[in-house]
Amino acid sequence: MDSRRRLASLVGLAGILAATAVATAQEPARIAFETYQLPNGLTVILAPDRTTQVVAVDVWYDVGSRNEARGRTGFAHLFEHMMFQGSANVKKAEHFQLIERAGGNMNGSTNEDRTNYYEALPSNRLNLGLWLEADRMRSLAITDSNFANQREAVKEERRLRVDNQPYAGALFEGVYALADSTGCFPYAHSIIGSMDDLNAAKTPDVKAFFDLYYAPNNATLTVVGDFDTPATKALIQQYFGDIPRAPEAPPVECRSAFGTGAIRKVWPDPKASLPGVVLAYRVPEYRSNDMPVIELLATILGQGESSRINRTVVREKKLAQGAFVFANLFGPRRGPGNILALAISNTGVSPDSLEAGMAAEFARLVQEGVTEAELTKAKNAYRTQLITQQQQALNKAEALQGASMFLGDPEAVNTNWKRFLAVTVADVKRVAALYLRPENSLVLLITPGGTP
Amino acid sequence: MSSMFRGAAAALLVLTGAAPLSSQDYPKTPPAPGPLTPAPFPPFRESVLPNGLRLLVVESHKQPVVSISLSFPAGASVDPPGKEGLASMAAGLLTKGAGRRTADQISDAIEGAGGSLSAGAGADFLAINSTVLTSSLPLAFELLGDVAVRPTFPGSEIELLRTQSLSGLQVALTQPETIADRAFRRAIYGAHPYSRSEVPASVKAITREDLVRFHRTRLRPGGALLVVAGDVTLAEARRLALRAFQGWTGVSAAVTPFPTLPARPRTELLLVHRPGSVQSNIVVGNLTYPATDPRTYAATVANQVLGGGAASRLFMTLREEKSWTYGAYSGFVRRKGMGNFSATTEVRTEVTDSALRELMRQLERIGSEAVPAVELDAAKGSITGSYPLSIESADQVANAVANARLYGLPADYVQTYRVRIGAVTAEQVQAVARATIRPRAAAIIVVGDGAKIYDRIKDIAPVSIVDPEGKPLTPEDLAPKAVRVDLDLAALAVRRDSFVVRFNGAEAGWMRGVLEKTPDGWRYIEDTRLGAFVVQTTTLELDATGAMKAVKQTGKVQGQDAAIDVSYAGGRAKGTASAPDPQTGQIKRITLDTAVAAGTLDDNSVQALVPAFRWAPGAKWTFNVLSAGQGEIKPWTLAVTGTEQVTVGTGQVEAYKAELSGPSAPLVLWVSTAKPHLLLKIAIAGQPLEFTRVP
Repeated sequence: MDSRRRLASLVGLAGILAATAVATAQEPARIAFETYQLPNGLTVILAPDRTTQVVAVDVWYDVGSRNEARGRTGFAHLFEHMMFQGSANVKKAEHFQLIERAGGNMNGSTNEDRTNYYEALPSNRLNLGLWLEADRMRSLAITDSNFANQREAVKEERRLRVDNQPYAGALFEGVYALADSTGCFPYAHSIIGSMDDLNAAKTPDVKAFFDLYYAPNNATLTVVGDFDTPATKALIQQYFGDIPRAPEAPPVECRSAFGTGAIRKVWPDPKASLPGVVLAYRVPEYRSNDMPVIELLATILGQGESSRINRTVVREKKLAQGAFVFANLFGPRRGPGNILALAISNTGVSPDSLEAGMAAEFARLVQEGVTEAELTKAKNAYRTQLITQQQQALNKAEALQGASMFLGDPEAVNTNWKRFLAVTVADVKRVAALYLRPENSLVLLITPGGTP
Repeated sequence: MSSMFRGAAAALLVLTGAAPLSSQDYPKTPPAPGPLTPAPFPPFRESVLPNGLRLLVVESHKQPVVSISLSFPAGASVDPPGKEGLASMAAGLLTKGAGRRTADQISDAIEGAGGSLSAGAGADFLAINSTVLTSSLPLAFELLGDVAVRPTFPGSEIELLRTQSLSGLQVALTQPETIADRAFRRAIYGAHPYSRSEVPASVKAITREDLVRFHRTRLRPGGALLVVAGDVTLAEARRLALRAFQGWTGVSAAVTPFPTLPARPRTELLLVHRPGSVQSNIVVGNLTYPATDPRTYAATVANQVLGGGAASRLFMTLREEKSWTYGAYSGFVRRKGMGNFSATTEVRTEVTDSALRELMRQLERIGSEAVPAVELDAAKGSITGSYPLSIESADQVANAVANARLYGLPADYVQTYRVRIGAVTAEQVQAVARATIRPRAAAIIVVGDGAKIYDRIKDIAPVSIVDPEGKPLTPEDLAPKAVRVDLDLAALAVRRDSFVVRFNGAEAGWMRGVLEKTPDGWRYIEDTRLGAFVVQTTTLELDATGAMKAVKQTGKVQGQDAAIDVSYAGGRAKGTASAPDPQTGQIKRITLDTAVAAGTLDDNSVQALVPAFRWAPGAKWTFNVLSAGQGEIKPWTLAVTGTEQVTVGTGQVEAYKAELSGPSAPLVLWVSTAKPHLLLKIAIAGQPLEFTRVP
C-alpha cells in the first residue's frame, strides 16, 4: 500500500472521532483540452479521453432570457422547443429518434444566460451528434405552423411544470421579484416568459431572433470523450465551417445590481396542499469572489441531513416536512443572482411560524458564523461532487462550457475548485453579514389553493 | 459499402490530406456509424468471507471514487400481511441510529467526509449504498458495518419516519398512476405478496418489535452480497470488510418460493372509477417468468421495438401519429420469483377507447408478425449503443453488477450483454412476445371517469368496476343520481349576509350578500374581496321556486378579468364565462349552451338558498350543479355530519356541520340549527381559509 493510502486509512480512523477529517489531497483530475475558433466565429473546445467509450457533444448558444426585451419574453425558451422541430435535412421529431436509435441520450435547456443542447453517445456515433447540431444551427425550420405548434407546447409545458406542480410557481416566477425590473429587466423576468408576449409574437419576430442568436459566432461547441482529435477537427470543419456568421448581438443592459429593500408577498398556489415559504436574498454575479463562499454557505445551511435547516427546522422543531437552500437554482449567471430557501410546512404549521423558524436559522448563522467542521464538510461535499461528476463525459463538457462562459476561460475548470478550498470561516461570516440581511430579502408565503 | 469501410475511407481522406472539404461535402442525410468501439467491462474479482458474505470487487482507478452496495434478500415481498411497508421502513431507519451513534452523528460523519450513505427496499431486496472519495473508504466501511449489523431503531426516529411515510402515502394514493399500478399488481399476482402495497393502516401497524425482528432474521451475512466498485483492490476491500463486519454471523431467512399461479384464461378489464378525471391511465399486462429465464435478452429487444422509447411502436402511433398522449411505454419488470410485462399510457378521457384498442392491436402484432430486419436492427443498435453510457460511473457499475448477481443472471451477464443482444433473432422476439404478452389473456386496468368511458370500453373485454378504494360498483353507480332539492320556500326571506375572511387567522378580506325579493322571484347579490386577488360581484336571479334564471359575475381574479353571463331558459343554460381553471389557475374563456336538468343549481346558489334547505341531523342532498365558470355540470352532495358550537361575534351559536363535496375544493359549512337557518361559517377542507359571519 502506498504511503498516501496508509495515511488515508490512519486519517480515516481518526475521522471517526473527529467526524470531519480533512480528507487527504484528493484533487479532481485535470481535464486536458484544447480550444480554437473557426473563421465564422464558432468556438470549439475539445477534451479527448481515450479511456472511455462515450462521447458527449454539447453546444451552448449565448442566448437566454437575459436577451429578451419587454414585450418579448419567453423567446429564448420557445426556441429551445423549436430546435427539436426539424431542420433542412432532419424531419420533425427525427432528432430524438436518431439519437435514441444510436443508444444515446439528449436534451436541451434554457436559463437566463444560455441555451444548451447536448447528446451523449457511444463514440462510434460522434459524427451523428455533430451533424445534428450543425444541421439545426444552419437551417432551422421556422414556419407559421411549427411556431404555432411549439407555442402550444410551451403553454402545455407551463401548465404541466409550473402550474400543475406545487411550489414551482414560486420558484419559476415569484423569486424574480428580488430583481430590479427597471434597471435590470434582463434578470427580472421569468425564463418561461409571459403567455401574452408569446401570443403576440409573430413568425418574422421569431425568425429574426433565431438569425441573430443562433449563429456560429454566438456559440461554443464542446466535445468530450473517446474521439480522435484530427479526425474530429476535420468533421467539425466539414459540418460547421461554412455556416455564415451573424451580426454581433446587442449587449445586455443591467445597470443597477439589485432592487433594494425587503419584499414580502403572499403567493397563492392552487396545486399546493400545504403552505410553503420561500426565503431569498440577492447575491452578486457568478464570477464575484464572494460566490464560492455563498455556495458553501448554502450547503451548510440547507443541503444534506446534517444541514442546519434540516436539523432544526425539519427534525427538531418539526415545522417543515422538507427544506433546502440553494444558490442560483437555475445555474450561474453573468448578472445578479440569489440564494434561496424553500420549505414546505408540516400539517398544522402556519406559513408565519415556518418563516420565523427559517429566518431564525439564517439570523443565527449571521450572528455566530459557521464552525471549522461545518466548513470542512461543505468543502468535502463540493470536492466529492466535482470528482464523481467528472466520471461522465457529458458532465465534463458542461463544466468546460460553464467555465468558459461564466469564468472567462475553460481552463478555470481545472482551477476554480481551489477558490472553494481557500474559503475561511471569517469569509463566511463576512459574506453572511453582507448578504443575508432582511433588507436584502424576499419572502414568499405560499398559500394552498387559489380562490375559494 | 459497409459502414466500416465508409468510416475507414473517411479517416483515410483526412490522414492523407486530401482536397479540403467544401460545403458541397456537407451530408444531406445523417452520417453512418463508425465501427463499434469495444466496451470492455472492468474486470471483477469475487471472494466469500468466512461469515458467508459474498464480496465482489470491480476495479477502476480513473477517479478517486468508490461506490459500495450491500444487498439482502429482504424486500417488500417478505412484509407480513397487514404490515406492508415494513422492509421499506426498516431500510429507512438503518441510518437513523446504529452502534453508539445517533442519526445526527451518522449524518455528521458521512456528510462531513463529503460522502453519501442511504438504504432502501424494493420488491425483492434491501440495499445499503454509499459513495465516497477513496480517502474516506475506511470511514464508509465503518459506518456501513454499524448500520447493517447494529441499528438501534430509536422510537422517536420510528415515529418521525412513520409520519413522513403517511404524508407521502396520502398524496400518492390520490395519483391515478399509483392507483393504476397497484390495481395491476393485484390483478396479476393474486395471493402472492408481490400484489400487496403499503397503506396507511399497514404503516401504522408496524411496531419496533417488527423492525428489530426483521433486522435480526433477514439482515445477516449469509445470503447477502457486498459489491465495491471504483478506486479499490480486492485485497483492500476484503480487509476493510473483515474488520467492519467482525462478529456478524448467520444466514438471512429464506424467502418463500413463488407458487404456481393459475393462468389467466381470458382478458379482463378493471375500471377504477375516478369521477371528473380529465385523463385515463391505462395499464395492460401479464406475468412473465422468473428472473433467471434465458429469454431475458429476446424480451429486452422485443420491448425496445414495442414500447422502449421515442422510436418505439407505441410511442410512434399513440403519440406521434394520433396525438392521443404524451407518452406510451412498455416494460419487462424483473422479479426474483415471477416478473411481469406491462404497457402503460395516460390519455385524454375522450380518446380512452381508441387508445386502448390501438394498444391492444400493437400487443397482438408483436407476437403474431416477425419484426422486420430494419426495425430489429435499430432496436438492437439502440440497446447496444447505450451500453457504454450505462457503465460510466462507479455507482452505475456497482448497481449493474449487484443486479446481475442478486437476480441470479448468468455469471458473465454484464460482460457479454452486448454480444447476446446482438445475437437475438426475429423468431426469438416473436416467441417471447407470444409467450409473455398474450393480449387475449391479459389484465387491463383503466383508471378514469367511468361515467364518460364505460359505455365505450365495455365491449373490449369483460368489465368489472371499482372505486379508488376498491369497493365494487355497478354501471348504474357511474351515473350521478341527482334530484331536485325539496326547498322550504317559506323559509326564504329578505336578508343580509356579511362574512369576514381570514387566512391563517389573519383578516384577509370580506364577503357580503343580499337576498332581495323581485317581481318574479328572488335576487342574490354577493360581493367578495380577498386581498388584491379576488374582487368579484355575483348576481343570481331566481324564480319563485328558487330555480335558476340567470347568473352574472364581474370582477378580477389575480389581476385578470373574470366574468360570467349565463341565462337559464327552456331547460338550457346559455351564455359566456371566463374564470380561473381550478387546476391551473389560468383564465379559461368559454361559451356555454348546454342542457340542464330541472333542479340544477348554480355553484353560487347554495349560499343564497341555505335557509331553505330542510336542515336536520343526518340530512343529505345530492343535486346537479352547473359551474358556469368551468362549463361543467357535476353532482354535488351536501351532508350534515354533526352538530357543534360556533363562535359568532362574541357569542356561541349551535350549528349543523355539513360537508359539501363536488366543488373543486370540498367545503365545510356551519348552519344555525335554530331558524332562520343562517350560514355561520365556511371552511375550505384542509386549508387555513375561513369565512365567518359578522353579526
